[in-house]
Amino acid sequence: MSELTYLQAISDGLRDEMRADERVFVLGEDVGVFGGAFKVTDGMVEEFGAGRVMDTPLAEAGIIGAAVGAAVVGLRPVCEMQFADFIACGFDQLVNVAGKMHYRQGLAVPMVVRLPSGGGFSGGPFHSQNPEAWFMHAPGLKVVAPSTPEDAKGLLIAAIRDPNPVVYLEHKKLYRSIKGEVPDGTYETPMTARTAREGTDLTVIAYGAMVHVALEATQDLDASVEVLDLRSLVPLDEHAILTSVAKTSKVLVLDEANQTCAAGAQVAALIAEHAFEDLDGPVRRIATPDIPIPFSPSLEQAVLPSVERVREACRELLDY
Amino acid sequence: MSSSTTDVTMPQMGVSVTEGTVIAWAKQPGDEVQADETICEISTDKIDTDLPAPAAGTLAEILVPVGQTVPVGTTLARIENADRAGGAIGDASAAPGAEAPRSTTGPARSHARLSPVVQRIAQEHNIDATQVRGTGRGGRVRKQDVLAQIERRPDTLSRIRRTIGEHMKRSLDTAATCTTWMEADMTRVEASRKTRGLTALPIVARCTIDALRELPALNATLDGERYERSEDVNLGIAVSLGEDGLIVPVIHRAQELSAEGLATRIKELARRARANDLNPDDVRGGTFTITNPGQFGSLMATPIINQPQVAILDLEAIVKRPVVVTGDDGQDMIAIRPQTILGLSWDHRALDGALAAQFLAAVRRRIEAWHG
Repeated sequence: MSELTYLQAISDGLRDEMRADERVFVLGEDVGVFGGAFKVTDGMVEEFGAGRVMDTPLAEAGIIGAAVGAAVVGLRPVCEMQFADFIACGFDQLVNVAGKMHYRQGLAVPMVVRLPSGGGFSGGPFHSQNPEAWFMHAPGLKVVAPSTPEDAKGLLIAAIRDPNPVVYLEHKKLYRSIKGEVPDGTYETPMTARTAREGTDLTVIAYGAMVHVALEATQDLDASVEVLDLRSLVPLDEHAILTSVAKTSKVLVLDEANQTCAAGAQVAALIAEHAFEDLDGPVRRIATPDIPIPFSPSLEQAVLPSVERVREACRELLDY
Repeated sequence: MSSSTTDVTMPQMGVSVTEGTVIAWAKQPGDEVQADETICEISTDKIDTDLPAPAAGTLAEILVPVGQTVPVGTTLARIENADRAGGAIGDASAAPGAEAPRSTTGPARSHARLSPVVQRIAQEHNIDATQVRGTGRGGRVRKQDVLAQIERRPDTLSRIRRTIGEHMKRSLDTAATCTTWMEADMTRVEASRKTRGLTALPIVARCTIDALRELPALNATLDGERYERSEDVNLGIAVSLGEDGLIVPVIHRAQELSAEGLATRIKELARRARANDLNPDDVRGGTFTITNPGQFGSLMATPIINQPQVAILDLEAIVKRPVVVTGDDGQDMIAIRPQTILGLSWDHRALDGALAAQFLAAVRRRIEAWHG
């Protein structure tokens, strides 16, 4: 075990898997000599060479398209989008080509697209988005979003080994703010939910950075609050969600993404359909309103789900 | 309509009284009540009393169910006042039942709005959730309220307790039960069982079987007017399941077994009874039963006959006592002897006291002459 930041854990997982499997290679903008915009691939070009740590032009369609081809012929590409927001440029290659390859041609596409996502640091409308719901809606893609260093490493390795194209969301705010014990060597974290805290009175369902907001908001409440970390959005751990709701009968679902059709909307719909007779209150959601993320720090803080808003919603649900 | 209601509250009955319990409701929702007419009975740790209605009208809803203890001042029920009552009574008579008055009033409705989980739990536990006191927003009945209500509810009897109760009551209602007692000297049984590693029960059982062969009128069943003696002794042995009750497995054709054989069968049946592993044949067809609760020191009991049998033998504690014995030289003396009291409950419809005493004497004779 080593104590690593969330960012170091991602690097560690990538490096260990590249050492273990020579089919694994990295491609993206400035991932080589510069070591990546956030330094996830720092030092890798020196260890693995430019053939396995490839700097690409600023062309997301080209990065993802090249990865699809490499994956089809048996390699294990890991693409880095410099910011999650830029994946819009590679949308067609990912959604239409990678996502439907197995359905149309019967070919596996074992590739990973890493998405540094999320806001909270005045990145503005082009550098703060949480685009996971776009890909949840596209059949053929898996979508994972770790919240801890241990899961960041294990889910990245699981994503690389998965025969499907996997969208891997790494929250930028967690990069250096979260530290934790991380096992040495390679291991896979299952694409299932994790109970971040056990509780009996209320379930808060979250993923990525919102898990930490949920934990902080509920730690001092005079109630037993369960926090469920989804970890994977596709596949969605429906069993874990429904089991927790059956226990607590009250639910708050958090998204940092814009509210409409966010991952939490799917979770809420699942509960409404399959856990109706377990509910003792309305399924509440907190998400970012359907607006671009403002540059202004105070405005940004006003739109992102805050610890205070989450705590207040929990109190209301507990009192209901 | 919502404005014209009067609350019925838990009254202050003496300065030190802080809470009271509803014992019974004299009125139900929809019933007409007169001012000062008894609406319910309440109880405190000091007194039980009738609670008069504070106003005339129609009982709109009951908020505190029977058995619930609430603080003084708690609203127990609401009365829809008389000046508005005409319509409500009309509604109630048109559609009888608790639903009718609830559906006519605004505030009552909010109490009736139950979440899916509350409705499900209430239904599973056969509780009227509208009668549960809500602690949620606006008095809403929450999941924890209905769960707390279930916890407070007195335990209902388990299925096996109900079954035992029914059987016992039916036996007492059916048979003309008498009990006869007789003392027996257990010296030989005690000596024998110690050398053979047995308990007294299989030896007494063996003696009982022989006595039943001698007096077969007790090895029988009486079902209505149909009295039937049995060739075989199918001996029931009452086995305690602790708090879970009692069951009587049957040793079929017990006359073929020695005391050791009976001991083995009793042990096996008791083990299977406690492991819930008896099959229906193991408890069927008994012709006589022995019960043996004496391990806790009880001396006498009046056992209840296991229907449709006609008698049951009760073996209680074996206790050392000073008794008068006659020596070989004809001299009486006081000796210390392990004694027990054999109790026989028998059905006076099937036999008479003389036969019961004769039977007990036959068992005693065998016990006191036991050699083996």
